[in-house]
Amino acid sequence: MNPKEYKYTREHEWICLEPGNTGKTGLTKYAETQLGDIVYLDLPAPGTQVEQFEKMGEIESVKAVSDFFAPASGKVVEINAKAIDEPKLVNEDPYGVGWLVRLELSKPSELDALMSSDAYDKYVESLSQEGSE
Amino acid sequence: MHLLKKTALSKVHHGLKARMGDFAGWELPMWFTSILEEHKAVRSRAGVFDVSDMGRGWVSGRKAGQFLEKVLTRSVRRLKIGSSRLCLLCLEGGGILDDLWVYHVGVDQYLLVWNAGNTERKLGWLFRWSESDPDVTFKNATDDTAMVAVQGPAVCQLGSMKAISNLPRFGHARAKIDKFEVFAARTGYTGEDGFELISSTADASPLWGFLMGQGVKPCGLGARDILRLEAGMLLSGQDMDASTNPFEADLAWLVEFDKRDFVGKTSLLEIRRRGVARKLVGFKTKGREIARSGYSIFKSGQKVGTVTSGGYSPAVGVSIGLGYVPVELSTVGTEIQILIRDKLVSAQIVNRRFYKKGGFNEPEGIQIHTGA
Repeated sequence: MNPKEYKYTREHEWICLEPGNTGKTGLTKYAETQLGDIVYLDLPAPGTQVEQFEKMGEIESVKAVSDFFAPASGKVVEINAKAIDEPKLVNEDPYGVGWLVRLELSKPSELDALMSSDAYDKYVESLSQEGSE
Repeated sequence: MHLLKKTALSKVHHGLKARMGDFAGWELPMWFTSILEEHKAVRSRAGVFDVSDMGRGWVSGRKAGQFLEKVLTRSVRRLKIGSSRLCLLCLEGGGILDDLWVYHVGVDQYLLVWNAGNTERKLGWLFRWSESDPDVTFKNATDDTAMVAVQGPAVCQLGSMKAISNLPRFGHARAKIDKFEVFAARTGYTGEDGFELISSTADASPLWGFLMGQGVKPCGLGARDILRLEAGMLLSGQDMDASTNPFEADLAWLVEFDKRDFVGKTSLLEIRRRGVARKLVGFKTKGREIARSGYSIFKSGQKVGTVTSGGYSPAVGVSIGLGYVPVELSTVGTEIQILIRDKLVSAQIVNRRFYKKGGFNEPEGIQIHTGA
């Protein structure tokens, strides 16, 4: 299940607002399942400024490589070193220990433009229906 | 509308919720649970693959052997009944149309197994040379049969494989696995021991279920691609094609220049005399980024070649691959770079047998051959 309190992008990233205007980001369960075994993460160095919906990293699975887009604008304050060492954590727990980047948000209101978990569930459902036709 | 061809096991794959994908026009499982788990199953125990996409056909008639001698790069004259060998199908100019297995099944009777993809062109070419001869007949059996590969060090320990576990390497026979009649060959494309089994389409699903019941893990093309790459095996249409010759592709061992005349011989002799400018090599990267098919190979800031196959190797722990480079850069140990999106990643040319089994029929015991 996709956590209720998170917000989601059409490119299958999530962001979870934290106290003090920071946000933790990661890849959704759907994206993780699509990619399969993740073996390499290329994440931005702390201090990097990112813009909403712009590419901030790359995720490589055995089968494919996928861009990781910023769900919101801000400054990278932390990246998940544990996940970089052990990328399979992203497969195992994409909403928990498999988080990717912590951002200090410069425009928190941008989150209003993202999908709620209900909206994201429906979005994913529409994608899988397309795929099965 | 373009529809993918389905194998006799299509329903089984969907039932197992496999991730399906397009391979040379066939809808096949990319993975069932995880590529890495499936890779591990084959390296440590046993896995089963649907390889029904591979073409199968019978060549028979009084001049069947003579015909194969003419179109293939290796002689089949000394190929005993019950044995098989890998051969190339080359164009007159020496380009590789495909690699295929020839199984000598009986007097004037051969089974050919070729790669999926470009089938019309390959068969058209092959039978351009037989058409006029009433003593050679060909029957394409691809759609009337199914084919699975059961691979891994524990395959011969399965009770159901007892009947065929005495087959020598490359040997084959008609056999019974449980209640299923199959053509079984001790061949494969993973670098492990195992069999390839051809059954009727009706038996395909129950045979697959029976093997799963024996603890054999369903495996997809993702694992198959890594396994063959680790074993240094080329993929036809990707690592070699009509624009490459056997000397460039490091497949000179599949060309026999004996007395017989065969299609492409004159050109291949000339290519051998002249020498080639580029050569297929194996490489491994130093970083953790993955080199994939189509990426450029660099040396001293210049593009010198292209990756034809690449991927993450669990056995080596980094990305490995195959690609063509100028002959002067093809020596093992040569440092190169691979352009992985916008980064030049260091890599080294190594022996392309990245993975070596401890020995035939030995369980586990993974040895890493770096060639360094």
